[in-house]
Amino acid sequence: MAVGKKEISCPPSAPGTPLSEEDIRKGRVTYVEDHPDLRYSWTAGQAISRFLNGLKEGKILGVKCNKCGRIMVPPRMFCELCYKPIDEWVELKDTGTVKTFSVSYIDPDARPLKEPIIVAVIEIDGASPNMGFMHILGEVKPEEVYIGMKVKAVWKPEEEREGAITDIKYWKPLR
Amino acid sequence: MIEKIVNPKELRHWDGLIDVYWIYTSGTAGDYFFKKLKEEGKFTAAKCKKCGRVYFPPRIYCEKDLSETEFIEVSGEGTVRAFTVARLDVYEKPLEKPEIYAIIDIDGTDGCIIHLLGEVEPEEVKVGMKVKPVLKEKEKREGRITDILYFKPA
Amino acid sequence: MEVEVIKGLKFHKKQDVAIVGAGMTTWKRRLNETGRELSYLAVKQALEEAGITLDDVEMVVMGSAPDTFDGFTMKGEYLLDGAGGSDRPYIRVFVGGGTGVFAPIAGYWHVASGLADVCLVVCEEKMSSCYPHPQSAFKYIWDPILERPLKPNLIWIFALEMRRYMHVHNIKHEDIALVSVKNKANALDHPCAQVAGKITVEDVLNSEPMALPVRRLDVSPPSDGAAALVMVAPHIARQLTDEPVWVTGVGWALDTTWWTNRDLYFPRYVAEAAKMAYRMAHITDPRKEIDVAEPYDPFDYKELHHMEGLGLCKKGEAPILTREGVTARDGDLPVCPSGGLMGVGNPIAATMGVKACEIYWQLAYRAGKRQVAKEVTTGVCQAWGDLMQIGTVMVMSNKR
Repeated sequence: MAVGKKEISCPPSAPGTPLSEEDIRKGRVTYVEDHPDLRYSWTAGQAISRFLNGLKEGKILGVKCNKCGRIMVPPRMFCELCYKPIDEWVELKDTGTVKTFSVSYIDPDARPLKEPIIVAVIEIDGASPNMGFMHILGEVKPEEVYIGMKVKAVWKPEEEREGAITDIKYWKPLR
Repeated sequence: MIEKIVNPKELRHWDGLIDVYWIYTSGTAGDYFFKKLKEEGKFTAAKCKKCGRVYFPPRIYCEKDLSETEFIEVSGEGTVRAFTVARLDVYEKPLEKPEIYAIIDIDGTDGCIIHLLGEVEPEEVKVGMKVKPVLKEKEKREGRITDILYFKPA
Repeated sequence: MEVEVIKGLKFHKKQDVAIVGAGMTTWKRRLNETGRELSYLAVKQALEEAGITLDDVEMVVMGSAPDTFDGFTMKGEYLLDGAGGSDRPYIRVFVGGGTGVFAPIAGYWHVASGLADVCLVVCEEKMSSCYPHPQSAFKYIWDPILERPLKPNLIWIFALEMRRYMHVHNIKHEDIALVSVKNKANALDHPCAQVAGKITVEDVLNSEPMALPVRRLDVSPPSDGAAALVMVAPHIARQLTDEPVWVTGVGWALDTTWWTNRDLYFPRYVAEAAKMAYRMAHITDPRKEIDVAEPYDPFDYKELHHMEGLGLCKKGEAPILTREGVTARDGDLPVCPSGGLMGVGNPIAATMGVKACEIYWQLAYRAGKRQVAKEVTTGVCQAWGDLMQIGTVMVMSNKR
């Protein structure tokens, strides 16, 4: 019974057996490996399909909800605040402002990169405030980037575009 | 109303993989079981100190009352509770030789194991048949369930 | 556009809910036990403290984060027998990192609705199964079409948020690093800690850059571990103990997945969840009425970010409180006295052990060396998860 137990210190013990990387590699404990073969084909849906087709043509497309007046990017088929279908597609400019940025020294598996990547959230000109998406910055040194910097998209040449977010190679500062 | 894309060729897809690699440790009970199987060729079960249920494969806790268990040795022989004959592999291609999978109740325990049956033809297998395990040679054992090659009629 | 989420919510309940026991395993980078064995070890401790056996438990709630770490789809079902889920109603809940406080909230529903008088809440995580590093599973949280082709690492989203937070309030990295120093020192008194230690602000600022401004000592490590809580109805609590700890308020809220469309400097989702929990607990001035707090701190700046979201200080004021020692264990508003995730470890869902369990132990005066200096009546714990999306808040009190 736990009545009046002010003197005990919790947790009373820390059960568990720690292992090191070496214990696994040297086989001091038994284990099994598995490497699943999971293949996916994700559908882009109506809105993003049209957005990607727009990227192939060198345009950034957004959508407008007439009820709240927001012009949104990345585009979607319904306004999530008004919960109704959007009303029209709008072509936006390919310039924007840096809202926040980071200089990354690691790749997706947490291994170190030789050259750092500068990633930023870019607010697109022509859309409502705070509407933007994440992308890479280029042709700029990490020390020169600041919040509020104006940037412009650098596109791949038309023949190389395939309708993907990487059709924009990176965003460079508008000097 | 907004126009929707109706031509399926214009709707986009993105292909990708989910690429992960897993290492499953056997745990406290599993490690004891597999090491005993690998080094000595013996089978272990776990008996609940409170209610007496015997678990196979062994666990460090009793499922019914969460009390501690103690490890005991069992022969590994058992009885076939149910079986099936597989003629296609995981990718639905025909197998060279049909494989027989069975649920085997292990003697002296309240538990059972799923494994292959060997040295027997599919027509000869019956529910209630007594079987015993055939292990790999000691040098080839790795500390996995595949250290048991199959169960053969006793 | 601001939306008032909690307007019109009614808080009818059948009975109050008390916590009478908690337990946790050690938290380390790699543990030998399987997920089921970890759940069993935590549950055993919780049942012993409460003074009941498994037969007394009526329903079980399991909280466990993405299946990709452990490598089992249907992970809840796999963990069932070790968590005491056999032969009784059992359910798994999952909201990413928010599960640490969401699982006790789900346990609260079971008892407050009157459907159960004793509910066991278990959280387990085994991140080490993902080899060589759990980071490789995190990359699947990003959008496959708009974000994965850029090859992002999850640390990027934290770095982007940290930069925005530092820019809007003009905060220096030195002030944020003080949180890492405080929590790792606090964790020296926790028996289960993985990365406790004495470090300095210079150690943090000179550590390996990951995605600036985030450096290695700003981040909590991945861990294996489990934790458990026992929640009971008032008449059962009376039989078991003189000093149960009552759950007085719960709240949870999520924000949109279009995270690039939000201004990241303030966690709106935490503020909404906190409003709901405070309304239930009749708290109008959190800064004065809360005695001890455990906000979620997977990164050091996150503790400050969430303190502001919880209303424990004004926007931009959190680093000042840290610098002045207000949030130390002997300060006026101790924050993360357990050492939090920065000091003890980050096993995603099992963080319940240093959030909900820690507030319970503090209010029951059983935290041993970690016990805060002042007298405590009300405490709040909070968890966060996904792509900067969920806030889950629970308020507890030792007076009814």
